[in-house]
Amino acid sequence: MPRLLLIEDDPETAKAITAEFADAGFDVTWAASGIEGLDQARAGQADVIVVDRLLPGMDGLTIVEAVRKDRLRTPVLVLSALGAVDDRVRGLRAGGDDYLTKPFQLVELVARIEALLRRPGESRDTKLRVGPLELDLIGRSARRGDRSIGLLPREFRLLEYMMQRKDQVLTRAMLLEEVWNYKFVPRTNLVDVHMGRLRHKVDEPNEAPMIHSVRGVGFVLRAPA
Amino acid sequence: MRLPDFTRTTTFRGAVAVAGMFAIYMLLLFAVIYWQTGRYLMARSDAVVKMQARVFAAASADERLIAVDQLLQQDPRGVQHAGLFAPDGRRIAGNLARVPPELTVDGPAQAALVPVGPNGAGTQVVRAAAHSVPGGGVLVIGRAVDETMQIDEIVGGTLTLGLIPAFCLSVAAGMLLSIRAQRRVAQVNLSVQRIVAGDLHQRLPLRGVDDPFDKLATIVNGMLERIEALVQEIAGVGDDIAHDLRTPLTRVRVALERGRANARTLEESQAVIDRAILGLDQSLAIVTALLRIAEIEHSQRVAGFGAVALADLLREVCDLYEPIAEDKGITLAVEISARPTVRADRDLLFEAVANLVDNAVKFTPKGGAVRLSLRDGDGEAVVRISDTGPGISEQERDQVLRRFYRADPSRQTRGVGLGLSLVAAIVKLHGFRLTITPGPGFVAEIAGPQPQ
Repeated sequence: MPRLLLIEDDPETAKAITAEFADAGFDVTWAASGIEGLDQARAGQADVIVVDRLLPGMDGLTIVEAVRKDRLRTPVLVLSALGAVDDRVRGLRAGGDDYLTKPFQLVELVARIEALLRRPGESRDTKLRVGPLELDLIGRSARRGDRSIGLLPREFRLLEYMMQRKDQVLTRAMLLEEVWNYKFVPRTNLVDVHMGRLRHKVDEPNEAPMIHSVRGVGFVLRAPA
Repeated sequence: MRLPDFTRTTTFRGAVAVAGMFAIYMLLLFAVIYWQTGRYLMARSDAVVKMQARVFAAASADERLIAVDQLLQQDPRGVQHAGLFAPDGRRIAGNLARVPPELTVDGPAQAALVPVGPNGAGTQVVRAAAHSVPGGGVLVIGRAVDETMQIDEIVGGTLTLGLIPAFCLSVAAGMLLSIRAQRRVAQVNLSVQRIVAGDLHQRLPLRGVDDPFDKLATIVNGMLERIEALVQEIAGVGDDIAHDLRTPLTRVRVALERGRANARTLEESQAVIDRAILGLDQSLAIVTALLRIAEIEHSQRVAGFGAVALADLLREVCDLYEPIAEDKGITLAVEISARPTVRADRDLLFEAVANLVDNAVKFTPKGGAVRLSLRDGDGEAVVRISDTGPGISEQERDQVLRRFYRADPSRQTRGVGLGLSLVAAIVKLHGFRLTITPGPGFVAEIAGPQPQ
């Protein structure tokens, strides 16, 4: 059971986050103040840390910096109520691994935490495989079983990202940030349209679907059962 | 004693200081004139005395006696002194009792003390010269230097006449200027008090003359105008926010209220909740967009600026929007006739172009086209986004850049209506130019200088 340390001063928010992560199978420790949170984080028991930036008497980034100074590599996600773009950069520079602006969807937070825990390591494989799906990173080609799939470069990038994170729920914002390097949420259903194209090519009508929509959250790539 | 207020102003103090310096300068000037004139007159007097002594001594004995007598008789002011002395020191003629002991015979003219008045009661300083007489004896010619006293009078008189009025005038001018300046300050203060009290229409009074005070007032008035415009804008934005937030929030409230009363099954409840979440997300999107615009408008972030290759950026935007355009049956094309780079924040510029393309795709009907083009126009890189949609009218053009304005009055198109103001804010931050041309279709251009 992954252990999550939540450093958040608002009890109501903390309660909702704790419940959501408990449902997702996490063991959550809640620290209501920065000092308590820093002690817990330094103890090194957590697998992943969620820290609010605005804590009474302390900036959440101070905790991140202190943890990194102790050479702890625990992944950290920084939460912030500030709607500033530069804050994101500052948060990541301080040693945070991801950044989420309040108010956020709980499912978005869970998806990101799971992504942090299952971050793909440095892989030397030149071929990615998920079930019958195979992606040749050198030859830039894709096939499903015996069928060759013709992909545009942007579709290739998207599929590569999803195959590296099979069985993980990927939110629209995550895809935009990581695949398109897009720092804001556009108003139109961009991701859905791109995903529709890719799905059309990967899952033919007579095949078992591999790309699934997760209602209200995003998408997931799974090997057919 | 407490001095009047105006004496404490810098204008007045400056005037007094200038007057004082002027007075010192005058005194020095007059001292030099006095000294120079005195020296000149004395030298002339000395020359006369010396010449008379020499000429008289050179004459015959009889002529010499007559000359001495005449010299003394033709002297109504009593400044002439003369004495002809025998070799044994006895006086032969003249009004001097003896040879003044200070004099050297045949030497230069110099100052000597001679007795004057009845019975030689007083003494007088004269310039005198002694000359030896052929055949023995000494001739002394002296002249009282009363010219220096006259100069004293003249110089002193002129000094009093010139200096005192000049000094008084300076001080008076200082007082006048100081009082005038204080009056202007008082007027300005009155206006400022009204502005502070909330009357932003108030402006500083102008005299219509070309003085520093007027210039300053003009500058401040310009600033006040800008502040007034900003305050009004903020007030307008506040109204807009209230309006645009009220709509989705009202929907949420209504949906929840009806759902609580009517939902019978779990599915019905979830449908209500989904609608409520959608409404809240819309409200949050408005707030987020506003915060972003405010952030961009007030940021000085040039740290993230670098060379941005516009051709690549346009291709990426196109790549992002191609599927959507295709789904809608719209042609999306990029025409690149130059490959300029600009100094910019890549993410923000991408956002601006993406927003314009997003809009274009949204408003262009099926079968239409959206075109992105990049060209070099007089050293400026020009990005142009045009579509075959309905475009906007000339009147709408300025309004469209204002926050929350949507060309669609029925507000049926999705979106928050902040896109164009966001683009405007980003373009302004870069110091680039945004032009929106009315019809046919919607044409937007972003022009930025290329670094040399």
